[in-house]
Amino acid sequence: MEILKQFKYQPAKVVGGYTDRILRLDLDKNEISIQELPAGFKEKYVGGRGYALKLIWDETNAATRYDTPDNLLVMASGPLGNDPGFPGTGKFIVGTISPLTDTFIDSNVGGHFGPLLKLAGFDALAVKGISNEDVVVLIDGDAGTVNIAKAPEYDEWTNRGALSYGESLLKAVNNGEYSDTLAAVVAGEGAQHARFGIINSLFFDRRRNRIRSKQAGRGGTGTAMRAKGLHGIVVRSSLPKANGNNAVDKKLARQAGAKLKSVIAEYDAKQLSLGVWGTAGLSEYMDKFHLFPINNYQYGQSPESPKLFARVFLDKYFVKNIPDGCYYGCNLACTKGSENTLLTCGPKAGQKMGIDGPEYETVAAISDMGIFDAQFVMEYNWYCDEYSLDSISTGVTIGFLMECVQRGYLSSTDIGYDLKFGNLEAADRLLHEIARGEGFGKIAGQGVARCKQWVAARYARNNNVPEDNVIAELSKFAMEVKGLEFSMYVTRESLAQQGGYGFALKGPQHDEAWLIFIDQVHKELPTFEQKANALKWFPLIRTWFNATGLCKLPWIDVRNPQAAATPEPAKNVPTLNYYVDYLNATTGSKKSLEDVLNDSERLQLLQKLINLRQGKGTRASDQIPLRAMAPVYDNEYAYRADYYDEWLKGRTDGKIPSVREDRHRLLIEKRRQDFRQLSDIVYEKKGYTAQAIPKRETVERFGLMDQQAAKLLDKFGV
Amino acid sequence: MTVSIEFFGIQRSITATDRITLSVSDDTKVHNVLAYVRQRYPGLPLEEGSILVTVNQHVASLDRHLKQNDAVAFVPCIGGG
Repeated sequence: MEILKQFKYQPAKVVGGYTDRILRLDLDKNEISIQELPAGFKEKYVGGRGYALKLIWDETNAATRYDTPDNLLVMASGPLGNDPGFPGTGKFIVGTISPLTDTFIDSNVGGHFGPLLKLAGFDALAVKGISNEDVVVLIDGDAGTVNIAKAPEYDEWTNRGALSYGESLLKAVNNGEYSDTLAAVVAGEGAQHARFGIINSLFFDRRRNRIRSKQAGRGGTGTAMRAKGLHGIVVRSSLPKANGNNAVDKKLARQAGAKLKSVIAEYDAKQLSLGVWGTAGLSEYMDKFHLFPINNYQYGQSPESPKLFARVFLDKYFVKNIPDGCYYGCNLACTKGSENTLLTCGPKAGQKMGIDGPEYETVAAISDMGIFDAQFVMEYNWYCDEYSLDSISTGVTIGFLMECVQRGYLSSTDIGYDLKFGNLEAADRLLHEIARGEGFGKIAGQGVARCKQWVAARYARNNNVPEDNVIAELSKFAMEVKGLEFSMYVTRESLAQQGGYGFALKGPQHDEAWLIFIDQVHKELPTFEQKANALKWFPLIRTWFNATGLCKLPWIDVRNPQAAATPEPAKNVPTLNYYVDYLNATTGSKKSLEDVLNDSERLQLLQKLINLRQGKGTRASDQIPLRAMAPVYDNEYAYRADYYDEWLKGRTDGKIPSVREDRHRLLIEKRRQDFRQLSDIVYEKKGYTAQAIPKRETVERFGLMDQQAAKLLDKFGV
Repeated sequence: MTVSIEFFGIQRSITATDRITLSVSDDTKVHNVLAYVRQRYPGLPLEEGSILVTVNQHVASLDRHLKQNDAVAFVPCIGGG
């Protein structure tokens, strides 16, 4: 490998979960340096997403875009990542300015990279600049070196891929051997052509004896990485992983982990069974409750859905009896996968692959295209990972374009083939075109928001109609907010989740708030006030997980039976108390759950300020498409007419119009009214103005009123 | 009257069916059906605090009276990923 720059360092020891160092790379100048963090930094910004937010707030500006040299690509675990004694500590986040939203995005991902980066001596890695040639970065905590090297070349396919390239890279730096002292992050050619490129997190799984991958999937982090000329990063550390955080109170940390492991061991099998099914097990519950997106979210249920239920994957694809955690010590072990699955489509047809997944989101991306074929789910999963495409955004974009065809805004002449719902061959063809930046893939790879503009301009020109009118119509079913495609849940019947997607700072991704079940099924949030409280509380605690290097699933998807006796069982506070104990034991803090929420609120507010600066922070940016709150067209109303009629009767003392068209119109009016009312209450609770701009006292209360914030609030007249 | 009981996910591995139909008396409550299911499928994990009982896709109390054609299900607490 041709080394372009070498930097030698003495790795810092992890103490209480932190190294207090950030590795800085400037690819404009091939400079490598270490930033020693000042006293108070970690107390204020926690880690993970918090560190990424602070760096991006300080070092980028309103003109920064994903592909400008000043954009930062930040990868960071957090103080609680990297301890096999506690479940789910392999997480790290990738934060940057998104190619889809033009504002801050972070995507959390599992695997070994975050823990090994910390063991190699760094709480975070921050990359700026753009290299004039493709490079890789090698961080070697054992040798005490950081190298920027010319990206090595292998065969043509490997050079284009991410899984293939990452595996070759990991072997190349270790004499052709696999090792769990190494991990890599890699982005393939799809990330060079589409705005929703992902970063794969590769690690060696001893049990399967192969390299496996997890994905930082949302918001185009891989696209930002390849825009820097950065193909991959490898990190190495041979330090022991046990007690990797050098906890201040090792006994208490161990006890907290043991308690959580015990709850998971006893109750996961009695509840969602993530350890057996993986998250694909959600499909049938989502379908049952009309939450499973079908045909671009037109429907939430289909008679064909059982073809995509977890049992199919378990019987046909998943290799059983292997505990599948994405990091050591996690007994939830939800990372399912197959071995030797024969591909039948695309350039690798005829070859057998180990496939990591599918997760629920990937399964639902396929139903969203009206396709119910489990083999295609597996192949789509593998190709999206290898190309480095977000399986969610890819599916939602294709689904949107399919509906444009259904409703006559696009034709096969525009596309070159018949892109209609259910056409597996067409979806497969478009997937490969997106990855290669060819044909109609050049358009589709821009994501829903930009496709909407393209389709509207073309349709308006060809039909001599005002473009604004077409955009208004397409906006009703273009499933994006702030430029990010929806994740895979139908929100129409849950006002709380409509808010969960609309107010999510990064765009409609469920890791900020997922309230559908407690709202729609459990009926635990009957009032606007309760929904608004949940829309404040859940994003705060979820943000904390992304700041500390932890997976949320052991908390949110395994209900501690003791929660039933608490005032709000859905918060699962008895389990959260284990997390707070683990935090205090690791870092030596003496925080309560309330303190943790306050720390998170500061980070949320900082993210809000970045959104405001980047033009995505006001009430207008929180608006969701009509389809997310109501049926847009008659076929959708007709599909659940009895349900909608009953819903309307509950809002009109039983008096509803006799004509369905009028009932439909009234329903839309009521749903819009509800979303407006909810927005007003949520903004008030968060300390924002009615236009969703943070009030000065809110910013001051969390110690964030620096010069930039003051000027920004001035600009908005606050 | 007739009511149905639906089984999901891992439950189906034990019951070997998606749904069973029961003829019950008019004063049957949710807890009566729950007791029946526990007796018929002793291996089914139906611990209080671990699952929610729904009737026609909405959470229901154990004291709720069932009506003709009601569909009862036992759903885990799902909090989202």
